[in-house]
Amino acid sequence: MSADVELQGVSIAFGDFYAAKNVNVKIEAGEFFSFLGPSGCGKTTLLRAVSGFLEPSEGKVLIGGQNMSGIGPNKRPTSLIFQNLALFPLMSVADNIAFSLEVRGVSKQARRKRADELLDLVALNGQGDKKVHELSGGQKQRVAIARALAVEPEVLLLDEPLSALDLKLRQKMRTELRAIQQRVGITFIYITHDQGEALTMSDRVGVMNDGQLEQVGSCYEVYQAPSTPFVATFVGENNAFSGKVEKVSKSIAKVNVEGTSFSGSVGRTTLGDPHPVGVGDDVIIFVRPESLSLAKGTKAPKNNFSADIETIEFEGNLKNIYLKSNKNKSIRFSVPSVFDTSDLTPGSTIELSFATESAIVLPSGPLALD
Amino acid sequence: MGGFFKKNGSIISTFFLIAITFWLIFLILIPQLYMLDLSFRPNLPPLLRGGPDDVYTLTHYKHFVFGSETSKDAYNYVDIGVFVDTIGTAILVTIINLCFCYPIAFYIAKLATPNATRLLILALIIPFWINELLRSFAIRILFAGEGVINNLLLEMGLLDAAVNFIALDVALYTGLTYAYILLMIFPLYNALETLDTNQLEAAKDLGSSTIRTHWRIVIPHAKAGIASGSTMVFMLTAGALATPVVLSSPNTFWFTQLIYQWFNMNDNWSRGSAYSIILLVVSVAFVLLMMRIFRVTIGEVVR
Amino acid sequence: MTSNRTFQIFLGLYISIFFLYLFGPLIIMSVTAFNSAEFPSITPWECFSFRWFNEGKIAYDGQRLAGLAADRDLHVGLITSLFIALGVVALSVPIGMSAAIVLTQVHSKLRTLFYSMSIMPVLFPGVVIGISTVVLWDRIATIGGEGIISELGRNGIFLTILGQTCFISTYCFLIFVARLQRFDTTQEEAALDLGASQTQVFIKILIPYLMPAIGSSAVIAFLASFENYNTTVFSILSEQTLTTVIATKVRLGISPAISALAFVIICLTLVAAVLYEFFRRRQEKKKALESAAKMYKEISSDRLKEDSKKAFILPKSIFVILFLFLMAILGWQQIIKNNLYGGECIAKAEDAKKSNFADQLKLLQNNADTLESEGGDGGTGSTNEYNDIFGDPNLFKNFGGFDN
Repeated sequence: MSADVELQGVSIAFGDFYAAKNVNVKIEAGEFFSFLGPSGCGKTTLLRAVSGFLEPSEGKVLIGGQNMSGIGPNKRPTSLIFQNLALFPLMSVADNIAFSLEVRGVSKQARRKRADELLDLVALNGQGDKKVHELSGGQKQRVAIARALAVEPEVLLLDEPLSALDLKLRQKMRTELRAIQQRVGITFIYITHDQGEALTMSDRVGVMNDGQLEQVGSCYEVYQAPSTPFVATFVGENNAFSGKVEKVSKSIAKVNVEGTSFSGSVGRTTLGDPHPVGVGDDVIIFVRPESLSLAKGTKAPKNNFSADIETIEFEGNLKNIYLKSNKNKSIRFSVPSVFDTSDLTPGSTIELSFATESAIVLPSGPLALD
Repeated sequence: MGGFFKKNGSIISTFFLIAITFWLIFLILIPQLYMLDLSFRPNLPPLLRGGPDDVYTLTHYKHFVFGSETSKDAYNYVDIGVFVDTIGTAILVTIINLCFCYPIAFYIAKLATPNATRLLILALIIPFWINELLRSFAIRILFAGEGVINNLLLEMGLLDAAVNFIALDVALYTGLTYAYILLMIFPLYNALETLDTNQLEAAKDLGSSTIRTHWRIVIPHAKAGIASGSTMVFMLTAGALATPVVLSSPNTFWFTQLIYQWFNMNDNWSRGSAYSIILLVVSVAFVLLMMRIFRVTIGEVVR
Repeated sequence: MTSNRTFQIFLGLYISIFFLYLFGPLIIMSVTAFNSAEFPSITPWECFSFRWFNEGKIAYDGQRLAGLAADRDLHVGLITSLFIALGVVALSVPIGMSAAIVLTQVHSKLRTLFYSMSIMPVLFPGVVIGISTVVLWDRIATIGGEGIISELGRNGIFLTILGQTCFISTYCFLIFVARLQRFDTTQEEAALDLGASQTQVFIKILIPYLMPAIGSSAVIAFLASFENYNTTVFSILSEQTLTTVIATKVRLGISPAISALAFVIICLTLVAAVLYEFFRRRQEKKKALESAAKMYKEISSDRLKEDSKKAFILPKSIFVILFLFLMAILGWQQIIKNNLYGGECIAKAEDAKKSNFADQLKLLQNNADTLESEGGDGGTGSTNEYNDIFGDPNLFKNFGGFDN
């Protein structure tokens, strides 16, 4: 049984400081939803508000259509997996998992049975009698998940659970978490600052910055069609060129970037309408590193510019070429590793271009700090 | 308050509240307040208390300072003498204790190996599991007229007649220093342990002598420990009863023994209370003074 | 560097003197417990005997010097002490725990005040606490009229329990505060989130975590109560605890029975210390084994397994113990050689004393006769003359008894 979670105009204030400002989102039942954002953006606070450890200063939290205000965390149909896991060190693995049943007065036999079921679910069969400190990091993760699922909550909340694990383990756990969610079918609300995690696991992503929910959409939308400069630069890498609008026609804007004219498609707001940009507005035109290409031999040279190569970086499956424009702007150009870059040497100047459709024009705003 | 109840559940919260109120108010605050009140009242037999004769009076405090009406002296030299003597001795004992314990504490904290440290600490603790009375008694056996030390010295021919160590207060000083060594060593040890040994090595490297290193580096760092240890030793010495009872001579009389006298032998509870208050005030004043001088907070003073 | 060397020697000497000062009196006192002489001493050594542990004796001045087993006051005092200690533990541990938990829940301004108030009792002299308790309850008893309140208010055991709880709760409080500081509060949140009620969180999560603190504060409370004198002597009124019995004995007359008691306590303490050290070493070994086993699983090497097989490592202190043992054996040999042990030795000593006493009496009689014959008043005579007789320095020599 899973439930939808709705945040209506939720603001959470601590004195004068607003950890969350007017957050509106509806998370569908059975969905894997991620809140993505840098540290301090308010995502943990939201999670605590949903789980019941905080009451919103304004707005409402509804789970399954029911207003949750005044209802404590032990009465809500949610389970929270803490960042430090918060496993009970004095209890065995099985006792940890069956704890939620124990406090409800379920018999020892039934508890043991359910614990075994869950150990099976998370692939920890037979480890029930071990003590928590005997387990590895990944195993502890799975115990935390099993414990949270024991009473079949309607919503599972996960607070950056993979941040303490090394890369390979993290990747493995991502797939496992997704698989578990599919199997159990309940709503997962996941918070992280790692966009790779968010994008690979989630159905939808909510990007947060400074207490505000900047954009909610599918992974594809958030990547390809960011609504704000923050989202454009936080999710994935992006080259940002600031300029003023020269001309707008049919969702294509012509932008003057320090003398050169570039054309890009106008981005959409969170509501889906194109941003109302007018002539003379300050905008930023965003081009993904992988959307750049070498300008030689293109039929219709549009959006061309030249830049000097500074360094070439090998990142496994990609090669990143860092350049500086004649106006001293850093540009990043990514190509698959198999691409032959032997004639690209640091110091040489090359011509780059990009297609208008792959560039996004957005009203000026704060970027994600690297 | 509502949040408190919500956080702990009603049963547990009530339990907490009852326990804490009982302790802080009923066991700590009220008895002291009542004793303070009593010290200002005349010494009436139980039935007359609360009656018309029960007025506030300073007679007990006056008695401490000025003596009884029948005495011819301007001031109550006896009582004040006892008081000054007690405080003075306590201060002296504290200082002796400090000098005596500092090297050991330093050794254990810095110079001993970890195994030796543990054993030494254990060795230090063992004597103090034995009752203070018994320990003082041991000192008494040593120093008595027919005690071990006298007998030994007589047999060795170093003495012609037994020396009454007790009357000379040697026994008392030894006993008092002995009694509270542990309370001086541990705060010192704790404070010294946190000192970064590298600092000492750096000082030596820069050419500082041992004494200077201690004076300029170690002692300031151990400030809190010194304050804490000194406070505890002073308080316990000034308020000691067991050791003076066992080791006192006709020459010395401890202030607490005076209180005991007023209480149990003269049955003058009001006066006993008054003297208790005086002792209490001095104790607390000393603590505050130490806290001021050494600039430590009260949390650091208590172990 | 010679200065370093002399420093080392000096330090070593200092430490030896220090520990001699610390343990010396206790060792000497323990030894005097075995000397059958009536005043605790090592020289002159009368006889080696256990009498002070058992029946004691009746001195010739009529005073009964009871041995440990025969001393009824001591037994009563012991039981009262135990009873009081249990009462104090029952009160102080919950109070200390409650105060420590609440401390973590109040915000900073109230917190400093609360903390200071909780620490205050340690700063009060013990006598002050004892007096204030008695004084207050006496008043309550008077107001309460007849009945249980007035009875309680004048009951030494009740008052002592209250008085000691006042400051022993602070000790417990500090222990709990230290333990709570390292508590991971997210565990409480996790428990709540999983559906536990507040009370369940307290019982299932917090209390198990606090168990070590509960244990250690109970032990500390018990020991502190047991050995307390300053407060007890005022609040105990007509009852007796072990410490007040000891104090009375010491005041009225010094006897090796007290040394015997001290020796018993010292032995108990040593046993406790050895046991504690033993258990600690076992714990550490267990922990080392566990972490080695964990590493073994992860590294899968044979070398670690071999290390764990090594048996009990002999502590260096075994040499000290052997040395003491040797000394004891030598001492024992001496005793046997000089025939200083056993019933006949005691009998001889008693005879010697008896004859000594008879001599003294004769001396006394002689003095009295001479005075009479020198022509004073008949009969009992006046006190002035008796003063002289008692001024005889030979009187009461080697007699033992009081010490002025």
